[in-house]
Amino acid sequence: MNLLWQGIVNGVLLGGLYALMALGLALVWGVLNIVNLAHGALIMLGGYVCYYLFTGAHIDPFVALPITAAVLFVVGYAIQRRLLNLVIRAPMFNTLLITFGLDVVLTYAAQIAFSADFRTVNPSYAGANFSLLGATVPVVRLLAFVIALALTFGLWLFLTRTPLGRAIRATSQNLVAARLYGVEPRRIYALTFGIGAALAGAAGALYGVVSQLNPYIGTSLTAKSFVIAIIGGLSNPLGVIVGGLVLGLVESMTSLYIGATYTNVASFGILVLVLIVRPTGLLGRTA
Amino acid sequence: MRARVVVTLCVVVAVLLAGVPWIASPATIEFGINMLLLAALAQSWNIIGGYTGYPSFGNSVFYGLGSYGTAVAMLSWQLPFGVGLVVGAVIAVVFALLLGRAVLRLRGHYFAICTLGVAEVMTAIVSNLEITGRNQGLVLPLLKGNVLFYELSLALVVVATLVVWWIARSRFGFGLVAIRENEEAAASMGVDTTRYKIFAFAISAAIGAVAGGIHAYWITFIDPVSAFDIGLNVKMIIMAVFGGPGSILGPVVGAFVLSAISEVLSSEISTVAGLFFGIVIVVAVVFMPRGIADLLRRFHTYRWRYFAANVRATRV
Amino acid sequence: MHRIAFKVALAPLAIAACAALAAAGPAAAATITLGASVQMTGSLANTGRYYKDGYEFAVDRINKAGGVKVGSAHEQLALKILDNQSDDNLAVRQYTQLVSTDKIGLLLGPFASGTVIATSSVAEKYEVPMVQGGGASDQIFSRGYKYVFGTLPVASKYFESTIAAGAKLNPPVKTVALLYADDAFDVSVAKGTRTWLEKAGMKLVLDERYSTNASDFSSLLSRIKSDHPDAVLVAGHETEVLNFIRQSKSLDVSPKLYSFTVGVPSADFRKALGKDGDYAFGMTSWLPSASMKDRWFGNGEEFEKAWKAQFGFEPDYHAASAVADVEAFVMAIEAAGSTDPKKVRDALSKVDFESLYGRIQFDSVGQISLPQTVVQVQNGNVVPVYGDKGFINKAMYPMPDWSKR
Repeated sequence: MNLLWQGIVNGVLLGGLYALMALGLALVWGVLNIVNLAHGALIMLGGYVCYYLFTGAHIDPFVALPITAAVLFVVGYAIQRRLLNLVIRAPMFNTLLITFGLDVVLTYAAQIAFSADFRTVNPSYAGANFSLLGATVPVVRLLAFVIALALTFGLWLFLTRTPLGRAIRATSQNLVAARLYGVEPRRIYALTFGIGAALAGAAGALYGVVSQLNPYIGTSLTAKSFVIAIIGGLSNPLGVIVGGLVLGLVESMTSLYIGATYTNVASFGILVLVLIVRPTGLLGRTA
Repeated sequence: MRARVVVTLCVVVAVLLAGVPWIASPATIEFGINMLLLAALAQSWNIIGGYTGYPSFGNSVFYGLGSYGTAVAMLSWQLPFGVGLVVGAVIAVVFALLLGRAVLRLRGHYFAICTLGVAEVMTAIVSNLEITGRNQGLVLPLLKGNVLFYELSLALVVVATLVVWWIARSRFGFGLVAIRENEEAAASMGVDTTRYKIFAFAISAAIGAVAGGIHAYWITFIDPVSAFDIGLNVKMIIMAVFGGPGSILGPVVGAFVLSAISEVLSSEISTVAGLFFGIVIVVAVVFMPRGIADLLRRFHTYRWRYFAANVRATRV
Repeated sequence: MHRIAFKVALAPLAIAACAALAAAGPAAAATITLGASVQMTGSLANTGRYYKDGYEFAVDRINKAGGVKVGSAHEQLALKILDNQSDDNLAVRQYTQLVSTDKIGLLLGPFASGTVIATSSVAEKYEVPMVQGGGASDQIFSRGYKYVFGTLPVASKYFESTIAAGAKLNPPVKTVALLYADDAFDVSVAKGTRTWLEKAGMKLVLDERYSTNASDFSSLLSRIKSDHPDAVLVAGHETEVLNFIRQSKSLDVSPKLYSFTVGVPSADFRKALGKDGDYAFGMTSWLPSASMKDRWFGNGEEFEKAWKAQFGFEPDYHAASAVADVEAFVMAIEAAGSTDPKKVRDALSKVDFESLYGRIQFDSVGQISLPQTVVQVQNGNVVPVYGDKGFINKAMYPMPDWSKR
């Protein structure tokens, strides 16, 4: 019983971090119709930015988080403005391929720039924890969970309550209508991708604190983000939180009661089943 | 008349390629095997991706099932290699028929992500099965010499290309193209879209599985991550798109050209080869999004403006 | 339509380009070239690069000392190392290229059991010897191959010395949790470990396989916490061990002892963990020691100094094993008086010499036998704790709670 409770706590906290990882992917996919295979590589870059701010400038990782997000925003904005805007109306294969190419380039560039050394963002409180009704709660994971919720809610407010956010949503629904709003699509696209990258950067900073960084972590993070985005749907950031929690809990329970080698069977099995049963995502809109 | 020239040329090229093992070094032959298997895989993807318009990420599953089917047949059931290939292909086709019914209702990105999920699930399942050696992989007996593998790979490319050629000029192929262009319209024209798509998926599976089986016996060691490698699926797509998806020879040419580029890069500049390969992909997608086939068709009218025209057509 | 004809003409062009490339390979004169394809980039680069460094370091030193004596002539060593980008298929083709195009008859191995299994079949196919220090899985040596030699000790014995030490600690280890990654090497380790545990009369309270590259261990750690084993033995990869240790801190899991097959001996690993790395046990087939005499480096300690001066970090057993691979070739070539692959292969099966890495002598399947010394991270340094002659230094045992460190 105690183990079950601990398992639920583990799953929920893991789910928060997962949700933050997928948030940017879902936003870019939903608005720009780009499935960004380089998303995991952006998370990886965010992790390194935070790592260097922490080890080089001795900035606390949670203070470095907004700086990391800002750096990644600039990176993302530039990628969309200079590169992806060139192919945004090309057939779907092409956007898939170009982001795959981008993933390869970012990964290898990271290997050259940062080497294959393992890195961790390891502040003194990284292992702090407290007990909650018999379960151990790691403080850093709880903080990550809270930040993920806050950013998701913030994104939701931004998209629904601000003119710029409404413009982004209008763009996703209809380019012609967006032009009528007086929206400059090139800028809006770059802005959207920039926000997606900034969220990936924030996720990367937190990932470095709870796990470890090397240039090759991106691919599996991209795959996990897909699962979450599909379960949660693309239309609403709050759905992504649900997706993250579902995945976190499923992985935790599978590992606890079936076997640690079965987590991928369960998580990707859910992805496939959700798509087959409800092709537009569990909470999604129609495509 | 001109068609006959092309056919003659293809036959000549195939015969020349068949003679390569008698004049080339073993390294060239192994490069050839790799290139030919990729060409066959690109061609198999072309059927479901290029002609039917379904961006499958599940073709590496067929390849993996072929690898494991062949390996398990040879190791656990002591069957000869040839029978093993058939076993692998049958497993893959049955899997495609079952899977196709469920996933071919999905469109666009959703189909892509779903098939990607299937590839991940299969990797994870095979990692847990006793008969497939779990994640430790299977070691196949060593067959010295490469000629058998080379000629088999070449034969597979030829067969795959003949199949695509048949598809391109058959009623079945017209149906697939109609599905790609507008599925609802195709259905209203009387195309049995479900059956057509599943059939295309199954043909694609058979070719991919045989490629996997040949590769497994040749490399002598398979494990789940390399057999169901999604990176391989991405390669198929890149090669097909680079050559020209939905054309008869495009994917084969794409596979040949990109394999050569990648091989030269990895033996000449070694550690930065991966980086350059990534850049090649990005540049190719931006400047020649419809592949070599389209470049050759339209370059003489547009000249260098061809590349700018492509960018203009797809940017905002 | 002639444009399509042009398109078709591209096909043989690709083959021709590659054949031309193949023909351009340099022919070495008066040097002996050793060939290798290692992981300089890609997911295995973190450890793969030690092999490149090790090979180059050894060749450099041997050449400075006069090279290799073949019959009456002295020849220099040369290396041709390619980067396989952690792609096994590419590695196989690169080895084929080294053998058939570059006419290299002596191969050094890549890192990791899976890659060794795939690439050693090239050596067997072309009947050229491969000496590798990167793979120890039983699958490499159980195929009856004659051309593969390995300088990492048998996988199934990795935890043997740790278990022996655990029985003699105060209080002795009685209950054990065993976690292992599901790849070829770690499954071999786990299989051996179970028999050692049974012999030592220890109780296995948790025996769990996990997926290679797993990053979240909270469920497994929670189970360990509820089962309270005295010792936790983990057979896995560096990234997993890093996550395991960091997450055991954040979930407040502290068994009396935990030990890992990889990571502890490598400097980069300890740097990533900082203080949290303390108390972790591990094992190594090699520790720099003055008692290990070496023809080229003097002894193990001097080798460590020279390595550190050149690379700026301490060598671990991967590096030493790579150096031993090169030395084994040199000894075999000198014994054979020839660089003929078959003669060198026969000589390799008979080599027996002292090296900085230990005594190099291959058994009938081509593997070396070395005892694993138990090591522990104490205040950031690797300290040998227990060897085949008993305790060497005092173990920091039992591990205190995380809150009391």
